[in-house]
Amino acid sequence: MNFLTSIVIGVLFAAGIFQILRRNVIRAAIGLILLSNSINLFLFTAGAYNGEIAAYTDMVGQYSDPLPQALVLTAIVISAGGFAFVLSLLYVVSTRYKTSDSDDVQGLKN
Amino acid sequence: MQTWLILLPLLIPFAGVPLTLITRKHLHLQTLLAVMLMFTSLGVSLALMVSVLTEGSIVLQMGAWQAPVGITLAADPLGVFMLVMSHIVLAAGFLYAAGSTEKVTSYPTFYPLFFALTTGLSGAFLTGDLFNLFVFAEIIVISGAALTASADDKYGVEAAYKYFYISTLAAVFFLLGVGSMYISYGTLNFADLANRIATTPPTPLTGAALAFLTATFLIKSAAVPFHFWQPDFHAAAPTAVSAMLSSLVVKVGVYAFFRMTTLLFPQVDMLNTLLVVIGVAGVLYGGFGAAGTHNAKRMLAYSTLAQIGFMLVGIGWGTQLSLAAALVFTFNHALIKSAMLMLAGAMASRAAVKSAAFDVLVGVGKYHPFAGALFLLGGMALAGIPPLNGFISKLMIFQSGVQSANYVPLAIIGVASIVTVTYVIRSFIKIWFEPILEVKPKQGDSLIAPALLIALSLALGIWAEPLVALAQFVARWVGDPTAYILLVLK
Repeated sequence: MNFLTSIVIGVLFAAGIFQILRRNVIRAAIGLILLSNSINLFLFTAGAYNGEIAAYTDMVGQYSDPLPQALVLTAIVISAGGFAFVLSLLYVVSTRYKTSDSDDVQGLKN
Repeated sequence: MQTWLILLPLLIPFAGVPLTLITRKHLHLQTLLAVMLMFTSLGVSLALMVSVLTEGSIVLQMGAWQAPVGITLAADPLGVFMLVMSHIVLAAGFLYAAGSTEKVTSYPTFYPLFFALTTGLSGAFLTGDLFNLFVFAEIIVISGAALTASADDKYGVEAAYKYFYISTLAAVFFLLGVGSMYISYGTLNFADLANRIATTPPTPLTGAALAFLTATFLIKSAAVPFHFWQPDFHAAAPTAVSAMLSSLVVKVGVYAFFRMTTLLFPQVDMLNTLLVVIGVAGVLYGGFGAAGTHNAKRMLAYSTLAQIGFMLVGIGWGTQLSLAAALVFTFNHALIKSAMLMLAGAMASRAAVKSAAFDVLVGVGKYHPFAGALFLLGGMALAGIPPLNGFISKLMIFQSGVQSANYVPLAIIGVASIVTVTYVIRSFIKIWFEPILEVKPKQGDSLIAPALLIALSLALGIWAEPLVALAQFVARWVGDPTAYILLVLK
C-alpha cells in the first residue's frame, strides 16, 4: 500500500510538472490541480504511518496522526479558492487576448 | 503583561474585511472607516512593540493548548520590528488610497482586499508555526493578486496571472517543505523544530526540507534567479497596492530568511553562502535592470531587486552587526520604496495618459515642485546619500562587511550601488527638468502619504540612533535562538 501510494504521488507530481510547462494556459491550470493534489497526498502520507487506519479509533496505539489530515484539509480549501481565482483570471485573459497560448499573452513586454 | 495585545494587530485588520464590506455602498464612509481602523491597528502595534521592548516578549498559545501541540502566536523583538514596519507603511498606503484618483480604489471590494493583505502580513510576522506561515502567505498572495487584477492598468490581469502562477508553485514547494519537516521531526512549531533540529541527527528529508523552504522564500522575496515575475507585477498593480507589494510583501521572504538562518538552521553555513551569492547577483542585476527601464514604476520595481540583494547579503554574513544592518536596511527600504512608488504613481495620475512610462511623464513635474522635492529626497535616500536614512542602512552594511572581512562581495555591491545614483538622477531629470509637452495641470492623487513617509525617512536619517539601537537589540535577540525556544516552550 505504501509503495502504491508513493508511486501514485510521484506520477501525479510528474504529470503536474509536465502539464504546467505546456504553453496552453488551460493545460497549465490543469497541471496546477494535479500538482496541488499530489502535494496534498504527500502531506496526508506524512502522518498516516498505519496506512488506511483512521485518525480516531478505539484501538490504543493503532491510530493515524490527525495533524497532517488537518493540514491537508486547510491546504485543500486554499487550493480550491486559488484554483477558482486562476480560472477567473484565465477567463479574462482568454477573452482579452483571444488566445490560449501563453506565448501570445505578453502585453507587459512593451 | 497583556497577552491579548498580540491579537489586536491581527484582529483589527481582520475585522476590517467584513466591516468595509458592510459599508461598501457608501464610499466615503468605507474609506473613512478603513483609514481609521488601519491607524488604530498601527497604534496597537506600536503599543505592542513598546510592551515587548519594556516587559519582554509575549507568547499566546491559541486555545490554551501548550506549545508543540497548539498554534503559537509569538511577539518576539524580530516579529514586532517587522510588524511595526509593515503597519507604518500600510497606514500610509491606506492614506494614499483614500486620496487616490484611481478607479480601482472606488470598487466595493478594494478595502476588504487591502485589509486581507494587512491581516496576512501581520499574521506572517506574528505566527510561531510553519504551517500558519504558509496560510498567511497564501492570504497575502490571493489578496495581492486580486487587487492587481482589478487595477486600472489594462495589463493588470496578465501581471496577476503571472504572479499567481508563480506563487502557487511556490506554495507547492512550501507544502513539500512543511511535509518534509513534519516527517523528519514530527512538529511544525518554530521553537520545537529549532530545538529538535539542533538536538537530533539529520534525517534523509532534512536537506530536502531546507532546499524546498529556501526555494519558496527566494520566490517570495523575488531574489534574483526567481525574480522574473516581480517587475511586471509591481509595475501593473494599483499605486497604493504596488507600494505595499514592493516594500512589504517581498519582506515576508526576507523575514523568513532571518528565522531560517538564525533559528531553524543556524549551523548550515551553505545557506548563508547561498544568500550572499544570490544577494550580490541581485544587487548587480537589479541596479543595471533599473538603469535600463523606460517606466518609473518598473524602475523602482527593479531597484527593489537590488535592495533585497543588500538585505540577503546582510543576512548571509550573519554577524551581529550585519544582521542589525539588514534590519535597518529592511525598515528604511520599506519607507523609501513605498514613498517613491507613491510619488511615481501620483505623477502618473497627473500625466495626460495615465501611465508611468518616462515618455508620458516627461515634464509633468514642472507644475509640481513639491512632489519634485519629495522625489529628489526619496531618490537620495534610495541611492544612500546623507542626510537620509538610506545612507545609514548602506553605511551599516558596508561597515559590517569590513568588520567580517568579506571584501569581494563588499566591493561588488559597493560599485553596483553607484548605479542607483544614475537611474535616480535620470528619472528625476526626465520628470522634473525636461521641457513640458502637456500644458494642462491636472488634479491627481494626494501627496500627503508620500510626504509623511519621506519626512520619516529624513527624520531617521538625521536622528538614526533609535532605529539603529533597536535593530542592534533585535540582532542580539535573534543571535541567541535558545532564548526564543525557551520563550515559546517555557
